[in-house]
Amino acid sequence: MSKYLTYPDMVFTDRRLLLAALADLGYRDVEEGEALSLYGYQGDRRPETAELVVRRQFVGAASNDLGFARTPQGYVPIISEYDHRTLHDGRFLAALRTSYAEHVVDAVTQRLHGMARRTVDGNVIKITVRY
Amino acid sequence: MPEIIFTIDPTAGKLEMHVVGIAGPACEDIAKLAKQLLGAPAQEEQTAEYRLRPGIRPVIRRKANP
Repeated sequence: MSKYLTYPDMVFTDRRLLLAALADLGYRDVEEGEALSLYGYQGDRRPETAELVVRRQFVGAASNDLGFARTPQGYVPIISEYDHRTLHDGRFLAALRTSYAEHVVDAVTQRLHGMARRTVDGNVIKITVRY
Repeated sequence: MPEIIFTIDPTAGKLEMHVVGIAGPACEDIAKLAKQLLGAPAQEEQTAEYRLRPGIRPVIRRKANP
């Protein structure tokens, strides 16, 4: 049984952008509700609850539900130790944050009616928005 | 032309934002917009450009000598 871990320092403020970032990573089926229970890979109900949940059948055979709990600061990930270690080669949260960040840049560009230029320098993505 | 330079480090999913070409606290509006979408930043730094206040010049009036 894999323990669930909460990442309070990793907050996703905007629900719409979080859903878009999850879709980018292939998680398009997201259940939304109030205090939804999270289930482990054997179908065992866990004490943790979340407002956005990717059910384990959409994650992987040995995976647990992925949850995002709504807090006053934004949505906080609740992810099992197993999934944190294995999803996207252990880079699930970094990949989600990267995708979320790109959606933030898109949203800022649209709101400012700006033009974005994207370059990749080594590992680093640089986006310049002029408006 | 004002611009915002976003730097994303995919290894950690870290985002940095640098506002260029807006002198003075006007860039606070941009920072506010980013904070709405990103939450409170871990670190916030005002550049020298921020401290410029365009179009506002101190006026020193001398009192007329009696």
